[in-house]
Formats: sequence, C-alpha cells, structure tokens
Amino acid sequence: MNPMRITTRDAATGPVLGIFGDLDYTTVGELRERLTALTLRPGQRLVLDLAGMTFCDSSGITALIAARNHADAFHADIALAAVPANTLRVLRMVGLDQIFPLHPDSDAATRP
Amino acid sequence: MCRNGPDPDCGKKSSAPFAALLEDSVEELYENAPCGYLSTLMDGTIAKINATLLDWIGLEADAVVGRMHFTDLLTVGGKLYHETHFAPLLQMRGEISGIALEIKQAGGGRIPVLVSSVVKHGGNGEPLLIRTTVFDARDRRAYEQELLRARRAAEQAHKQAEADRARLQDALAVLQQSLLPATLPSVPGMEAAAHYRTASPDRLGGDFYDLFAIAGDRFAFFLGDVCGKGPQAAAVTSLIRYTLRAAALHDPDPVAALKTLNHVLHERYTGDDPRYCTTIFGTLEPHPTTGEATVRIASGGHPPALVLRADYLPTPGGLLVGVLPTAPFTAATTTLGPGDALVLYTDGLTEARTGEDRTSLYGDEALLEFASSHAGKSAPSVIRALTDLLDDLGDGLDDDTALLALGVPASPPPTRRNA
Repeated sequence: MNPMRITTRDAATGPVLGIFGDLDYTTVGELRERLTALTLRPGQRLVLDLAGMTFCDSSGITALIAARNHADAFHADIALAAVPANTLRVLRMVGLDQIFPLHPDSDAATRP
Repeated sequence: MCRNGPDPDCGKKSSAPFAALLEDSVEELYENAPCGYLSTLMDGTIAKINATLLDWIGLEADAVVGRMHFTDLLTVGGKLYHETHFAPLLQMRGEISGIALEIKQAGGGRIPVLVSSVVKHGGNGEPLLIRTTVFDARDRRAYEQELLRARRAAEQAHKQAEADRARLQDALAVLQQSLLPATLPSVPGMEAAAHYRTASPDRLGGDFYDLFAIAGDRFAFFLGDVCGKGPQAAAVTSLIRYTLRAAALHDPDPVAALKTLNHVLHERYTGDDPRYCTTIFGTLEPHPTTGEATVRIASGGHPPALVLRADYLPTPGGLLVGVLPTAPFTAATTTLGPGDALVLYTDGLTEARTGEDRTSLYGDEALLEFASSHAGKSAPSVIRALTDLLDDLGDGLDDDTALLALGVPASPPPTRRNA
C-alpha cells in the first residue's frame, strides 16, 4: 500500500491534479474533497495526471467519474494523462475509454 | 501506644513534644477506642465490654456484663455462624480474625462488623478468657455494595451492548440475504452454482448475482459489481437487483434490461456521488429435447463471461451502467451444449494480487488457462474449483468476489438445486 498524495498546478488550459500513490477505498475521500473545493470556468479543462498513480480500484474509478461530473457541472472538460497500463486495461474493460479523453502525458493533455 | 498492658508510667517515657498527642489514660483509650472491645469467659459470658461497643448496641454495662453471652449480641444468622464456624475455629486455633458478622442494636437496627478474637491462657496453659475486638464495617459494607452495584451496572451495560450488536448483525444478515438469492432455482436440464465471498466480513459487499424464472421456461440471470462498498453500495445493489428482476419480466431482451437499469441508476444517482455498476445480464433458454441451452447476454463494462469449452464470450465496448444518460451495451449469444458451462465472475478474482510481493494481478490469461483445464466439468464442480482458487489467493483478494456458473451436464442428470 502506498499512501496517496495530490499535487495541484495551473496550466493554460486549467487546473492539473497530479495523483501519486494508491487511489483506493481508503484514500479516495481526499481526492473527492479536493474536487469538491475545485472551481472551474466554462471551457476550461481539468487534467488528472496519473503518471504517479500506483494502484486504482473501483472506488478510484468512481472518483474519476465524479471528477468528470464535477467538470461537466461547470461546462468544463476533463482529460486523463499518463494512465498506467493496469488502469487503462480497466478503463477499456468498463468502456470508460469512450468517455475520457486520454493523453500520453500532462504536456499533451494541457496543449490548448 | 503501650504494648505492655496497663502501666500508668508508660506514657511518661515518651519525649515531651508528643505528650499531648499520646493517650494519658489507658482506661480512656480502652473505653473510647474506635472499635469495640469485650472479654468473655470461656462459656461466652461477657465479663467486660467497652463504652464504644455499648454505644453501638445501645445498652448499659449493667445490663450486659455477667448477664449476656457474646452470641446474644449477634443476629440469628450470626449466632448460627458463631456456633458452627467461629467458636470451633477459635477453640482449635486459639485465635480468629476478620470474621464478618452482624450485631443487633437495642433499637432494632443492625451493624455489620468484623470480629477478631484471641484466647488468653493462664500460667499453666489453661484457657482463661476470650478477648474480642469488634470493628464497625458499615462504611466498608456500603463501599462493597457500591462496588457490587457498579459491577452489576457494568455487566448490564455489557449485556445490552452484546444484545445490540447481535441485533445489528441479524439486521445486516437479513439485508445481505435480500441482496443475494438464498438458493438458486432449479433450471430444467441444467445445473447452476454460485459463490460469494466478501473481502472483509464486517462490510456489506458490492457484488451481486441472481438467477430466476421469467415467462415460459426461460430464465434470466445477472451478475455484477457495484462500485464502492458498505451500506451505500448495498443500497445500490438492492436497487439494481429489483430493477433488473422487474425489467426482465417486462422485456427479457438483455440490452433492453441494461438500458432500463442504466436509466434508473443515472436518474437516481448523479453529480458528485455517482453510483453505477458493471454487470452482465442474460437469459437462458434450455432446450430439453436437444440438451442444449441458448444464452443471450449483454454486458455493461463487465469482464467477459467465460465459456468452459474454453473461451471468453467477448462483450467489448459496453459501458458501465449508470454513468451516462444513454450508454452503449454489447450483446452476445452462444449455445451451451452438453458439458459446456457459462461462468460469470467479478473482478475480485481477476484483480486479485498474486506473487511474492502481491504486486502482480491474477489476470484474464490465468483465468482462461484455469477455464481450459476445467472444461467439461459440471457447474457445481467448477464453482468448487474456483472457490479453492480463491482460498489459495488468500489475502491477495482485495475486493469481493461473486461467481455464477450455469452449465449443461455432459450426461443429463436428475434436476437438482444448488446454491
């Protein structure tokens, strides 16, 4: 088990949250809280950079969908960057690759 | 205090600064000591008694000395105890200490006391008299009763907590049973078996399955995984189960059933608290004449069903149920012949952590390999083998796991029921 850490930075396209460690049942609350406190402008893009994410269970997937709904409520977009192979496999299995724009890294995800 | 008996000079030997604090009269000390003193002849007749004890029993010395026996001061229970225990022990050992008795007061009250006695012997060793001290044990008795009351209260609270816990567990068990079928119905010409395992026993699980009859001789089944755990997940599971059951009766087309469920979930849970599930819903149409069964399934983001011939029955592109207002679901159809079985599972199995450091996943490949080696086996024996596999994975199981197997026996068996 790796403890989770979240970083925040602002790119030209909007906020970028970096998620490090395990995103699971025990840690997911923290990401949920960060998201709830996050305000977006219409047309902005919320990027979740998953390059440092070591594990993601179904609770983590739920948080990703909550993030998408959150962005949607502000008429903003969402994108995932650097999705680890295991999580990518899960996203494909549950069909979420169809609703999340995926980028190889946060640079590509924050290109206007 | 002087240890050598009544000696008027005793107090004078002490140094001056303590003089005022020391007893200047041994007689005064005897009479008004904070305990009762009495001396009795060997037959129990009271020969001497101090003022403290007289005060307790509420009698004058004249009424007691030479007229009463020690046992006359005791309650009936105390008398009995004195006769059967106190006196014999004193006679045997020459002394006895700290015996709890009750003395009677002239006004009808009782005082709990602790009694110690010692036999005084003469120069030739013959017993002369009995010296007895009597300590007031009222405060001590009250304290003991307080302790006893506190202990009873603690025991009562503990019993109450245990009862509450048992009632909560009963309620949980009933709820859990409303999420899963207690037994699977018997499907003509087929065998069915299921298994459910929670990763942590005190948490309501988020996996579910069901098998039930719909119109004609067809059956519907489903198995899935609600994202999340605990009471919230259980509430979603309940909604899913009864929605799918109702949907199946209304329109048994698998894609239509999932669309109904999707609509219900998406309408019910939106925004920052999305709730959804992966699920495979299917119908089963046994053909008793050919011994085959037609299976139609649709998947919403669920790991592909396994057909033990052995292959997956792929359903790619189906989306989680409940995420989008309109979501694509993928249908697939197959026919199970004698010896074939359809196995549905949740990702607790394929996502189980394996290897020395628990970092690898069990995975689809390994499951397919497992399926190949068990092709041709009956549904119950496949579930048994998978259950053993779960045992082997042990603490590598992070998530709940549900398993449902539907098989056509290699040779037609008598219809039976398995859960």
